[in-house]
Amino acid sequence: MSGMSLGYVLVRSVILVLLLMGAFAYFMVLERKVLGYFQLRWGPVRVGPWGLLQPIADALKMVAKEDTQPLGADGLIFVAAPALALFVALAAFAVIPLGPTLHFGHLALPLSVANPPSGLLFVLAILSLGVYGVSMGGWASQSKYALLGGLRAAAQMVSYELALGLSVISAVVLAGTLSLTGMVRAQAVHGLWAMVPNILGFVIFVICSVAETNRAPFDLAEAEGELVAGFHTEYSGFRFANFVMAEYINMFTLSALGSILFLGGWLGPFGLPSSAWWLVLKMALYLFFFIWLRATFPRIRYDRLMSFGWKVLVPLGFLNLVWISAFVALGGWH
Amino acid sequence: MDWPMAAFVFLGAMVLYSAWRVATAPLITHAALFLAASFAGVAGLFFLLEADFLAAVQLLLYAGAVMTVVIFAIMLAEMRELEDAAPHAGWLAQLRSGRLGWAPLAGSVALFAVLVAAYERGAAGWPKTALPAPADSTRFVAGALFGPYALPFEVASVLLLAALVGAVILTRVEGKGR
Repeated sequence: MSGMSLGYVLVRSVILVLLLMGAFAYFMVLERKVLGYFQLRWGPVRVGPWGLLQPIADALKMVAKEDTQPLGADGLIFVAAPALALFVALAAFAVIPLGPTLHFGHLALPLSVANPPSGLLFVLAILSLGVYGVSMGGWASQSKYALLGGLRAAAQMVSYELALGLSVISAVVLAGTLSLTGMVRAQAVHGLWAMVPNILGFVIFVICSVAETNRAPFDLAEAEGELVAGFHTEYSGFRFANFVMAEYINMFTLSALGSILFLGGWLGPFGLPSSAWWLVLKMALYLFFFIWLRATFPRIRYDRLMSFGWKVLVPLGFLNLVWISAFVALGGWH
Repeated sequence: MDWPMAAFVFLGAMVLYSAWRVATAPLITHAALFLAASFAGVAGLFFLLEADFLAAVQLLLYAGAVMTVVIFAIMLAEMRELEDAAPHAGWLAQLRSGRLGWAPLAGSVALFAVLVAAYERGAAGWPKTALPAPADSTRFVAGALFGPYALPFEVASVLLLAALVGAVILTRVEGKGR
């Protein structure tokens, strides 16, 4: 904390929140456009040129909508759940460095709100709280669809967190640090993206990040055909928007994490100079992959989802950890 | 009051209040959520002490894993209400009742007094002034766990394994070799 006043941290937090909100708004447009092209239609075209003012219209609609609450709902928890979901999503992103520290004269601008030495552990810890927003929202609604959706989401997130953790541990063993800046530095020192020796870990990480954010084809928690909208069935207006925002910001967090752990973070490919824009580009590709998956695959069955997580991904994660440990112990870097 | 002190007072109050509410909340789901809040508050206290590894592990294991499973079990088990808790008594009435109020409060104050007395006598050779926090607390904890405390650490893991096996045996359906 030395040399970092509380006010400066606050300013950077506000900037980060505004950045994430803007990214969320325009990622929504991108997703709807891309999904439209995948399905041979135009996506949003009416609001502004190329549908670019769509997020403003959406935001106005969300704020103006009636805030409904079921009669039997548990008031406090019903209100707290979406706020908690969004808080957890934002807090996880706070420690993710978007690039090397910038210097303007003698003003240092670190591209993260905080950079603790065990930042990776912090992100994992905060992400593991994400399940509260979902399960509290599902339970407090006192409706069967919401409760079932909340239960499904909780079970799914807990199960896939394990495999996600295993792939992250393999990255930690490879880099020998828990610091996110250290991760990138290790890849710069070895001159090789961690994805090359740790390709299995990367694949597991990508699959788990889709499952962690409850995205198609793993969106069992909000399967429209059977559960209406899952845990957020009873939510409307801005509280519903909170849940959606939390989901997308979690996607940003996981894509940033994946890019830093496995794709070299802000290092440029082919020896090009490093810059925060590389990380943004990698995150964009990663996020495009999320949309691509959603447009391509049908939703998988719930029991298959669980057995895939526990019987395929977790054993593979352990195997990969053994391989990476052997790689490091036998001096594979040299 | 500087801001670490303010944060300490806030987190301490949060931990104590939610711990008390765990025992007195009429709905078991609320009790579980209060327990989670209490765990999160303890993690915050670890952060204040610059023990960032312990803080992250506290969140990851207790608030993230243990409490999620507990809440999951409560949701599945339909145990919506506890029968005999005084459901809508005010906090003053709860404090006056022996089971929820003064008796546990007196007990914890007595326990605290014993701890302070032991500390003042310098029992167990505890340092009187705060040691500086190690720069890399993760490395420090790892060194302790795999060095002088390797045996207790391994024994604890055997204990957890025994609990796991016990849980499997207890929940197995009798007479069905699935």
